[in-house]
Amino acid sequence: MTAGENRFLSIERVSKVFWSDRGRVPVIDDVSLAVEEGEFVVFLGPSGCGKTTLMRMVGGLETPSAGRILLEGEVVTGPSREKGMVFQSYSSFPWLTVFENVRFGLKYRTDLSAARKDEIARHYLDLVGLAAYGDFHINRISGGMRQRVAIARTLAANPDILLMDEPFGALDAQARERLQVQLLRIRHAERKTVIFVTHDVDEAIFLADRIIVFSARPARIIRDIRVGDRLAGERTLETRDSQDFLALRREILAIIRDEAQRSEDLMVAGGMG
Amino acid sequence: MADKVRVIDRGGAAGTAPPFPPKDTRAASPPRRSGASPEAGVHSPAQRREAGWRDLLRFRARARADVELAVGAAGFAVVLGLWLFLTEAGLVAGQFLPSPFDVLAALYRLFAETGFLSDVWISIYRVWVAFAIAAVMAIPLGILMSAYRIVGATTEPLIDFIRYLPVPALVPLTLIWLGIGELSKITLLWMGTFFQLVLLIADDARRVPKEYIETGRTLGARDPQIMRDILLPAMLPSMVDNLRITLGWCWTYLIIAEIVAANSGIGYVIWAAKRYVKTPEVFAGVLVIGIIGLVTDQAIRWGHRKAFRYLG
Repeated sequence: MTAGENRFLSIERVSKVFWSDRGRVPVIDDVSLAVEEGEFVVFLGPSGCGKTTLMRMVGGLETPSAGRILLEGEVVTGPSREKGMVFQSYSSFPWLTVFENVRFGLKYRTDLSAARKDEIARHYLDLVGLAAYGDFHINRISGGMRQRVAIARTLAANPDILLMDEPFGALDAQARERLQVQLLRIRHAERKTVIFVTHDVDEAIFLADRIIVFSARPARIIRDIRVGDRLAGERTLETRDSQDFLALRREILAIIRDEAQRSEDLMVAGGMG
Repeated sequence: MADKVRVIDRGGAAGTAPPFPPKDTRAASPPRRSGASPEAGVHSPAQRREAGWRDLLRFRARARADVELAVGAAGFAVVLGLWLFLTEAGLVAGQFLPSPFDVLAALYRLFAETGFLSDVWISIYRVWVAFAIAAVMAIPLGILMSAYRIVGATTEPLIDFIRYLPVPALVPLTLIWLGIGELSKITLLWMGTFFQLVLLIADDARRVPKEYIETGRTLGARDPQIMRDILLPAMLPSMVDNLRITLGWCWTYLIIAEIVAANSGIGYVIWAAKRYVKTPEVFAGVLVIGIIGLVTDQAIRWGHRKAFRYLG
């Protein structure tokens, strides 16, 4: 287990159990995973499977029931600026303008002057293509723009790892596609390590260097797919029509279908036993 | 007298509302614009006017501002008309229900001859001082109750207990402890509002989405910074609504306090007029309270709309 100290991110035999009225609910079952610096890793799995919980543990917003998580050799014990988070909803503050939201990412940095903070905030606002909307309040901009605000705010804080919890889940198909392309562009500009949670197979393939496919609850890793090796070249909207993309899609859907069938069988068997 | 006591008691009970009374939805809804219906702009002005009136009957529809105002004014007009009819037709004796003109005359007498304005001011002063103290104490305590279980768990049962004590029942105690000066009245008003308000504010703070808090955490905010920079601004709109509603309850307690032990204030004037069966003066006093309430409420709503445009 000392290998974890050399990895950028190391999830080591992590389990998570929640307690409900009916007793013990295992959510994550003995998951181990290592992520390299700069990798774009997608957690893919059925809704409610525990993939979000695992990502939240990486972010320090939940604690593992067993096992440990190391980021750059240090055990994750709580949230911090090193682990930036983008949520699906309530991702930006409605009482602040777009610019103020982005600048909020730097609010608790004491090592930067106010002018420098303004400068950084403007840079990231520009990076997500919202320079013209700085003075707008959140209620005046679209859902896709709100998510871009959240991404800019998180990047402005300069985290080591970017954790995204179904950030485009509430958007319509067109906005979603646009945001995915922009996210890839931003990610190339920033070279950040990203963990991106989704249940959308197309989104996963399009964005990922690597897809971790999770089982239904309790989440276990059922497949670790190196998309980067199989989907060469720059990703554009046309990538989605390529043979390689479609082959990956078929493969992943088959894995998910098998798993769904298996967990249904288990549930029936469990119910009868 | 027994009758009166019961009436007063009910006043107290009305103030002791369920833990979280249903929100006044009109206040919570974003400011509506006139012609907000999708048809606006497509149809002729005549059609639009008609659509404006029809919106009043459509399930959960929003009506145009001018239509709403007209209907609200009509409500007042109907009551006034009924009142005029009952009194002018001589159906009810004047000592029970004076005519609107008698009340206007009484209103003039009060202000011009007996210095009623100073009573109005002293009443407003009592309400606002008590309310301000209650708010200044309730806002930080409510936020802390939501933030730390140690604060919530120790104070909530106590506050719940005190909250259900009818305020009029505390009048003798405030008199014994504090005499009949301003302090006893302000204390009574404070007791009537603080314990309600603190729970409402704790609930406002609890309703702030956890994503906001977690965003703050991942950006390096500590507890006090999260409370100041995230909780407070996020809960502010609903908190202002709750302050507005609680301010109304404060007036209820004011009248109780002034009836029982005061020699000034609107409540005192009403009670003194009752003693000499000056029913028009009683009506005039009640009317003034209603007007003050209406004006304050509308002013706060207006301020709410202006300050929280970003909610729209």
